[in-house]
Amino acid sequence: MKTLIMKLAMGATASFLAMSAGAWAGEVVWWTPNFNEARARDLVEKFQAANPDVSVKLEITTTDGLPQRILTALQSGAAPDVIDVQHGWVNGYAQNNLVLPVDEVLTDREDYIPASLEYDTWDGKLWGIPYRIETHAVIINKGDYKAAGLDPANPPTTWAAFKDAAKKLTTNGKSGFAITGGGEVGNTIFRSLPFMWMVGGGIISDDGKKVLVNSPETIEAVTFYTDFLKEGMSPASTLENDGTANRRLFIAETVSMYQSGQFDIQSIRKENPNIDIGVIPVPHPDGGKTAAILGGWSFVIPSKAKNPDDAKKLLGFLAEAENQAALTDTFPARVSAMEAERFKDPILQVFKEMLPFGRPVPAHPNWVQISQAYFDGIQRILLGDEDVKTAMDGVAEEIEGLL
Amino acid sequence: MQKQSTGYLFVLPALMVLGMLIAYPVAYTGLLSVTDNAGNYVGLDNFRRVLSARATPTAFWNTLWWVFGSIVLQVVLGVLTAILLNQNFRGRAIVRSVTLVPWVVPGIVAATTWAWMLHTEFGIINYMLTAPALIDEPVGWLTNGRTVMPVMIAINIWKMFPFVAIMVLAGLQAISDDLYEAARIDGASFWEEVLYVMLPQVRTVIVAVTLLLVIWALNHITIIYAITRGGPANRTLITPIQIFRTAFESVQFGQAAALSVMFFAVAIVVVFIYIRTLASNPEETR
Repeated sequence: MKTLIMKLAMGATASFLAMSAGAWAGEVVWWTPNFNEARARDLVEKFQAANPDVSVKLEITTTDGLPQRILTALQSGAAPDVIDVQHGWVNGYAQNNLVLPVDEVLTDREDYIPASLEYDTWDGKLWGIPYRIETHAVIINKGDYKAAGLDPANPPTTWAAFKDAAKKLTTNGKSGFAITGGGEVGNTIFRSLPFMWMVGGGIISDDGKKVLVNSPETIEAVTFYTDFLKEGMSPASTLENDGTANRRLFIAETVSMYQSGQFDIQSIRKENPNIDIGVIPVPHPDGGKTAAILGGWSFVIPSKAKNPDDAKKLLGFLAEAENQAALTDTFPARVSAMEAERFKDPILQVFKEMLPFGRPVPAHPNWVQISQAYFDGIQRILLGDEDVKTAMDGVAEEIEGLL
Repeated sequence: MQKQSTGYLFVLPALMVLGMLIAYPVAYTGLLSVTDNAGNYVGLDNFRRVLSARATPTAFWNTLWWVFGSIVLQVVLGVLTAILLNQNFRGRAIVRSVTLVPWVVPGIVAATTWAWMLHTEFGIINYMLTAPALIDEPVGWLTNGRTVMPVMIAINIWKMFPFVAIMVLAGLQAISDDLYEAARIDGASFWEEVLYVMLPQVRTVIVAVTLLLVIWALNHITIIYAITRGGPANRTLITPIQIFRTAFESVQFGQAAALSVMFFAVAIVVVFIYIRTLASNPEETR
């Protein structure tokens, strides 16, 4: 009896081991966010048809809480083989040795928008493959423009003219230009940091050695940004609004202009077809140039991936121009992929024009804390606790300790 | 002797599981608090960094405010509700069940719903106040530095008082009718019954429940994090959220561990004092 049980137990263990081993020989586990799901499934089918010995298992992630989830996976032994991550996260992973270099996969560097590669580079090596890029522009309600006596075909381009337009648009309970002051930190970084760049300021210098957040240039830009609330052109709810909230206010026709990416266009069209949507470049200071943060997504291979070889095969396939054009929700990181038909919608034109002005967010190991300190400062200004100079001096002091 | 060691052997598996689930994380947190992300020993560096951060004292005072405000009103409201639900009236069963609703709703659902209801622009609360012209302008409940913390505390009270009510109600129902009868014969009014019969009888329940509430308030993350993430400008940042942010947003596990260790020490002292003063039986000390 005893031996029988032993045999059964051994048999069970053996078959379990065989099964778990079989589960990942030739299998690539790919984590992709829910907005990619349908397109990713098509691409997986295509890939498997061409590579019958590799099977790809898709696992769908959601963006809320994704950084924490990925970090946990990367540090535990249970990492997938390919993960979609935002460009800005790649450097942190590389510096902590959590992902593998992928130089061999990406062969045609010159076809990529340089800022996207800059994001994924550290220590002279490439640690991720950018596939999706986007920047913000200003989305406007053309109907409101006409009602306020402004010409949407000839929109304001400078800060002064823009502010003037926002003032004119602020009537009948409508807000001219909505800024963000709540939600996740990134929302406000994406919308305010470009204004600093336009005048030669910033939060920290590109080499991460100097604090710029209380420089006169930055203070000028932060003043420009926060004045939209102080002078009543941004909604009273600004401190609780993130990008999504601003979109909802725009759809509800209580906001006439706000900064966002092209991903908002579709939902505005669907939820309020009455709005005549226009897109204009982010305004620049007189005599200066516009700027934007280049955002988007890259693929990484965790250093604890079980099947890095097949993962690289999959990445090679996904990096082909045609497939990149198919997968991206916004624009592809490859210039040649931009030729695809779906990027020719005229409303995308301005977003496309903004791309060359896109710059990467500074890569610093403490960037999350630095941006949090900055965001707290912005909130102190918006709350009316401190003026711009005092708030930014306080932020500078905090950041000094983080560099 | 032989007998005793056999006993130890029997509890060994349970002890090992407990050790893995409790002792190991606690010890590991202690270890993390003196190492950097690469695992090198850095002495008290993490403590120094955390203590010099601008957010730390803010979070500490916010936490005190949050715990104190929540507990006092949760207990008072909970006990009053329990006394009410202990009376005989029509529809009591329904009222008892309805009271439990806030406690049953998952925290994250409740928090998100409240965030929507409190929104300055499209929140129903401002709509109900402005539509009949009770106030002229919508109130920025979550964007005004003076209202945001009280609002958070109010939501926490709403969420937790049913729990207090149900626990105290159970205690009240265990009181023998003889006591009420004796009190009535002595000519006690309803409020005297409450004061001299009900409260002394449920004292132990209230003490135990309050201790639980203190611990839960000290550990709390869900409601505040889901609604304001500790903002605006750290007005609602409490220490548990600061720990969460430091560990999982800034990836500074060492500093988060250092903060946890200090927070743990403070919490232990609070709980210890509480048990020593309030939980001791007044009959014995008298």
